[in-house]
Amino acid sequence: MLKVRSGDLDKMALLFQRHHRPLFGFLFHMTRHREASEDLLQNVFYRMLRSRHTFTGEGEFKTWMYSIARNVVKDHMKKSRRDPDSYDAGELAERISASTRTDEMLEHRLEIKALQRALNTLSPESREVLVLSRFQDLRYEEIAGVLDISVGAVKVRVHRAINQLRELYTETEQNKPKHGR
Amino acid sequence: MECAFDKTMLTFYLDDQLTAEERTEVEAHLAGCASCRQELATSRHLRTLMEKMPAPEPSAGTLTRFNAMLDAFKAAEPAYAQPDLVQPAQAQRPAPGLIARLKQLFAIHPGFAMAYSLLLVVVGVALGRWFNGPASAAAPSGERKQLEELTAQVSDMRDMMMKSLLQNPSASERIRGVSFTSELTTVKPDVIDALLVTLNNDPNVNVRLMTLEALTHYASYPAVRAGLVESISGQESPLVQAALADVMLKLQEKNAIRPFKKLLQQKDLNSLVRIKIETAIARLS
Repeated sequence: MLKVRSGDLDKMALLFQRHHRPLFGFLFHMTRHREASEDLLQNVFYRMLRSRHTFTGEGEFKTWMYSIARNVVKDHMKKSRRDPDSYDAGELAERISASTRTDEMLEHRLEIKALQRALNTLSPESREVLVLSRFQDLRYEEIAGVLDISVGAVKVRVHRAINQLRELYTETEQNKPKHGR
Repeated sequence: MECAFDKTMLTFYLDDQLTAEERTEVEAHLAGCASCRQELATSRHLRTLMEKMPAPEPSAGTLTRFNAMLDAFKAAEPAYAQPDLVQPAQAQRPAPGLIARLKQLFAIHPGFAMAYSLLLVVVGVALGRWFNGPASAAAPSGERKQLEELTAQVSDMRDMMMKSLLQNPSASERIRGVSFTSELTTVKPDVIDALLVTLNNDPNVNVRLMTLEALTHYASYPAVRAGLVESISGQESPLVQAALADVMLKLQEKNAIRPFKKLLQQKDLNSLVRIKIETAIARLS
């Protein structure tokens, strides 16, 4: 990124190749919307290009990238206020019809679905910290950098988020088909 | 059997965020505390589930789009004086190749544009005739009638099968019945009724959630909308309540405000759901 900053814009392609997948994952988990995430992905890289001067090289690149991504998501949420965290109906339909219809697969899909539900019900703040620590595999120190809070505060947030998630998840878990109707 | 052990330690234990000493401390406690073991097991299960969750993949066009954006950005670079004026939407457009040249051409002579579109129409009509014409003319009317009858029969059978699956004692069979509806092109009133009955009465939360999703696809039917609104007051699971709030917001269904307000009066309503419903009401009204 330092090279990009000093004018070698082609190096950005390298960064894109390396980071666009996990970044897309983050955007998708936060917006639950495929098309929007694709747009936002381009937006994040555009903003990184434009504000490349703000990358000092002191912190890690990842931290810088995710804090930009966070702002992009925030702006997006503000813009689409009317329909903020409604899930992508098309996405869900796709998943239903593409299902392999054996019971084991169904069971597994239900578990994942229950988890997805629980995740969606979480507040954006809790979801964010979970996505960063669990899906993006960021260390607590890195998350602290992204969110601009102390490591201790990150720990508290992660713990609270996990507790909420477990509570929501267990609720469906008790209704699993395996245990009866 | 609530134990006084610091539960945050369990989370950090799972996340491998503890010092060696703290680890031994946690392990020692776990050995003697069943409720903490249980909690750790659930968290661990959730963790593996999250790892197994299919990672969303960006579409194939992403790289092309990025390259186009980068090119556009580089092109704009010499005039870099006011970078903020470059709008992302413009920058993201694909490289100005053929389209830009066509645009230039059309700008010079508007007649070209008209001639071009006329040509497209003619080619389209010709192709359409060429593909459809012979086939439909060749099929005798008797055969066509038979085909229509068969199609109707198949769709009737599907409806019937779906409805009988919904009555099945096994929850996974009922879910199969619900997902059947995604293959229906048109839904009959009795199918909608069957789905609404399932949404309101099925003992399993997962089945109810799936049914809600299936019904959302048919929100253009007034009966579905009315049924969904009616269902709000009857749902007790926080997950279904939250999902209904999402759906109502998506459909911009103002009639949902009243039942939601009623729901808010319940004292034991889940706090997260409460927030969700409050924001839904605020955005609907």
